[in-house]
Amino acid sequence: MTGFLVKRFLQALVVLFLVSIIVFVLLHMLPGGPARAILGPKGTPQQITDFNHQQGYDRSLPTQYFMYVKRLFTGDLGDSYKLNSPVFELLKQRLPKTLLLTVLSTALAVVIAIPLGLLQAVRRGKASDYALTGLAFLLYATPVFFLGLIMIILFAQVIPIFPAEAPQGESIGELLKDFSGLVLPVVTMAFGIVAMFSRYMRSAVLDNLTEEYVRTAMAKGQSSRRIMVRHVLRNALIPLATLLGLYLPTLFSGALVVESMFNYPGMGLLFWNAAQGSDFPVLLGVTLVVGIATVVGSLLTDILYAVLDPRIRSVA
Amino acid sequence: MTELQLSDAGPGTPAPLLSIDDLHVDIASRERTVHALDGISLDLAPGEALGVVGESGCGKTMTALSVLGLLPPGGAVTGGRILFDGQDLAAASAPTLQDVRGNTVGMVFQDPLTSLNPTMTIGAQVAEPLLLHREGIGRKEAWARAEEMLRLVGMPQPSERMKAYPHQLSGGMRQRVAIAMALVCEPKLLIADEPTTALDVTTQHQILELIDNLRRTLGMAMILVTHDLGVIANRVDRVAVMYAGKVAEQADVRDLFARPRHRYTEALFAALPERAAERGTELHTIPGLPPSLTVRPTGCRFAPRCLFATEECREREPELGPELAQELVPGSEASPGSETSLESEAPAHELVGAEHRFACFHPVPHGDAPEAQVVTPPPATATEPGEVLLELDALVKEFPLTGGPFARRRGTVSAVGGVSLTVRRGETFGMVGESGCGKTTLGRIVAGLEEPTAGTVRFDGRDLAGLSRTERRAHRRRIQLMFQDSTAAMDPRMRVGEILREPLVIQGVGTRADQERLTAGLLDAVGLPRGAVHRYPHEFSGGQRQRLGLARALTLSPDLVVADEPVSALDVSVQAQILNLMRELQHDRGLTYLFISHDLAVIRHLADTVGVMYLGKLVETGPAEQVYAAPLHPYTRGLLDTVNVPDPAVAAAGDREPLHGETPSAAKPPSGCRFRTRCPLAQDVCATTEPPVSTPNGAGHQVACHFPLAAPRLASRV
Repeated sequence: MTGFLVKRFLQALVVLFLVSIIVFVLLHMLPGGPARAILGPKGTPQQITDFNHQQGYDRSLPTQYFMYVKRLFTGDLGDSYKLNSPVFELLKQRLPKTLLLTVLSTALAVVIAIPLGLLQAVRRGKASDYALTGLAFLLYATPVFFLGLIMIILFAQVIPIFPAEAPQGESIGELLKDFSGLVLPVVTMAFGIVAMFSRYMRSAVLDNLTEEYVRTAMAKGQSSRRIMVRHVLRNALIPLATLLGLYLPTLFSGALVVESMFNYPGMGLLFWNAAQGSDFPVLLGVTLVVGIATVVGSLLTDILYAVLDPRIRSVA
Repeated sequence: MTELQLSDAGPGTPAPLLSIDDLHVDIASRERTVHALDGISLDLAPGEALGVVGESGCGKTMTALSVLGLLPPGGAVTGGRILFDGQDLAAASAPTLQDVRGNTVGMVFQDPLTSLNPTMTIGAQVAEPLLLHREGIGRKEAWARAEEMLRLVGMPQPSERMKAYPHQLSGGMRQRVAIAMALVCEPKLLIADEPTTALDVTTQHQILELIDNLRRTLGMAMILVTHDLGVIANRVDRVAVMYAGKVAEQADVRDLFARPRHRYTEALFAALPERAAERGTELHTIPGLPPSLTVRPTGCRFAPRCLFATEECREREPELGPELAQELVPGSEASPGSETSLESEAPAHELVGAEHRFACFHPVPHGDAPEAQVVTPPPATATEPGEVLLELDALVKEFPLTGGPFARRRGTVSAVGGVSLTVRRGETFGMVGESGCGKTTLGRIVAGLEEPTAGTVRFDGRDLAGLSRTERRAHRRRIQLMFQDSTAAMDPRMRVGEILREPLVIQGVGTRADQERLTAGLLDAVGLPRGAVHRYPHEFSGGQRQRLGLARALTLSPDLVVADEPVSALDVSVQAQILNLMRELQHDRGLTYLFISHDLAVIRHLADTVGVMYLGKLVETGPAEQVYAAPLHPYTRGLLDTVNVPDPAVAAAGDREPLHGETPSAAKPPSGCRFRTRCPLAQDVCATTEPPVSTPNGAGHQVACHFPLAAPRLASRV
């Protein structure tokens, strides 16, 4: 198991290296180069040459890449043009908040989706299955911003039990203190995922119910409930683990809509503002983080796989 | 008769443990309802072993599943009772059934690969029934008992295996785990549904022995469900033969095999290659197919396929019952009295109604003893040796063993480890061996689907390695393949006409009209209607698809057909049809077959020359009669002794020495002779030196062994 983890971690490092190259190339593909982006259309050629020399953009690409990586290791991702702050500092502030939002909503989604999927599978073809499936599709088809609007109207205005704006605290602790403010963003984000996860769970359970080991378990004299919990659940979670890992980066970027909607001070909001203001160093910094999230997501999937499925453990 | 039964049922007669009474089971799906069981009645005494035998779809598995209420979705008992220990299980509530399952009735299923939970440890799975059914038992005690049970089923290092997962065990070991699971609560009844069908011959034997021994130690009753008449003949006291949802015949096992009465049972026995009077003769076949059970057939269900059927059979349904007194010829050797005396020799658990019963208006008459059909040593047929068509010289095939696309190579699997043989034109070369012995790989190399790692394949005098691209393409049509699963080997979205024509199109033979004419001729030859060209493969039955597979192989008029387990998935009666067809076409078209099979009886029936493979090595080869009558290699002899012969008398003879142990991994084959780890004759030299090929029985019969068996034993019964 340890060997497997070390191996997967090393592989993840290789992928991260590739991600850094892609981000670096993107930086150089900015229209007119970063100088034009920063100095704007009114920058004189002399200003541009000076800027390029100052930033080292007139050196060879490998040298530039080397410098870029060296800066990466010291945590230097450049400075934001608009916010007058190093990108690294901005990410350090915002990333934990987005992580909090993502983890809370994913956890909520999983906690709802697993029993829901089980229930749908057990009641397959009955009215409750159709009703739940219909609801799931409705949620799945609803855009997040629309869902958020409905939540705000319902629970902040019609029945004002939760604030419409997310807490604005600086640290996670402060955010958690004002928990009622977190409810609407977390629930909005979770609802979008629940639909998909419960569909997956339902079909994974149905697949497993036709497996012969379930019949063996029945032949041992176990109740259906026990078979579900002891035998089917773990096997059905294996495909869900894939989905979770693949979905992590999407969730990260999905936070964008929710964060801007509830004015939640996370990375999504940062990205949104940066995109509107052509704040390229910030955009690239966020891209790098999403790249890392993708790699971490797949690493997480593999770890979950290995935990859930002994066959994968011994192959790796 | 009633009096006779009464007198038979003395005070010592035990009450039945299980009594199935007029059981009806329907399987309903959206489109149709199948009446899977239509009035089954069976009794089982405590400690008795009952075999339920029949071809696919006859309802034998449904019978087994219905006892524990484990019918598939849509399945339901629509009538009758299942009395077990005084309780009617057919009407029992879920908690009552759960209390019986795994506790007083244990069940073992066919496929050990899929019937264990892949994500739970062996220990947890074996201990589970104890935790469910033994109140107050702690986890620790349950695990200790589970470990003890694993030891009892012959699991090496049981304490380590407790923590292992199913995928870390071989198929045979997994089936041992499944048995341990079923028996850990010491049930009164074990239901085994095809417990050894997915296993190799030697593993099969070991598992059946194990079940036998445990049954005796624990005093369990058993229902053994199987399609394999060989298994049934050697392991049970009494047999019920099922056909189309009904019991056709029921009798003591020796009585049934010696004197079958129902015409279906008779036909089934006659279709066995083991019972063919001699090699090379036609096998008896049963024409047609079993009826579809969506509508209840009128009359005897076997009548449409029965050679003895009369108007009466088609109109009235025969009852399952003992011999009717008026039908007995006075003074005949087999009077009811003699039947009873025969039964009284059987083990002491006889039941009321356990006499020989059958549902047939025109039973096989007494005195027409089918013993005559039991194998007699076949005479050596003089086959005129043709020219050499295929020659393999020191053929080697190794597969790399890697962990993934970028992983280091961890070793090699030696699938074929230096095989040399010759196949002559017009003969059938039977290649026999257990799974993983390399016989399929060998067939694929011959067919040109794999490149050998070393060695040469010479076909019709030419080395295939030396062929140019175009020559190779032209050569391909001379060797064609026939597969075990013809459904999987045909594109499900192509019509039969296209499938059969495709090889001709690829090779550019003739015009479209020519191709269609040829296709129609082929369908005639394999006994399928010409209209079949418009249909899709899934519309055909298993036997018909095998006919299609044969037709497809013959489209290009090949010289050699490599047939890889072509009849292994078929029922006995259909198997006989295909084997007869293959023989007939060989005769008509001068075909040469490389016939690959694990089934010794089929090989014996069809092959002129036999090769025996073990772990990538050809250990013995020679004329079929010689190899079977006087095997030279200890492995061949072990195999012949391990096979279940469908004749209870042979098992009783007890001079057999079956094989022990498991086949080692082909990734780490033993040094020297690869069989030495399981060989009773192994010496030091076997570990150091690879045995040379010798011919102690005269040229043509080769063996690769340091100590070939000298004295020819009794003729084998396979």
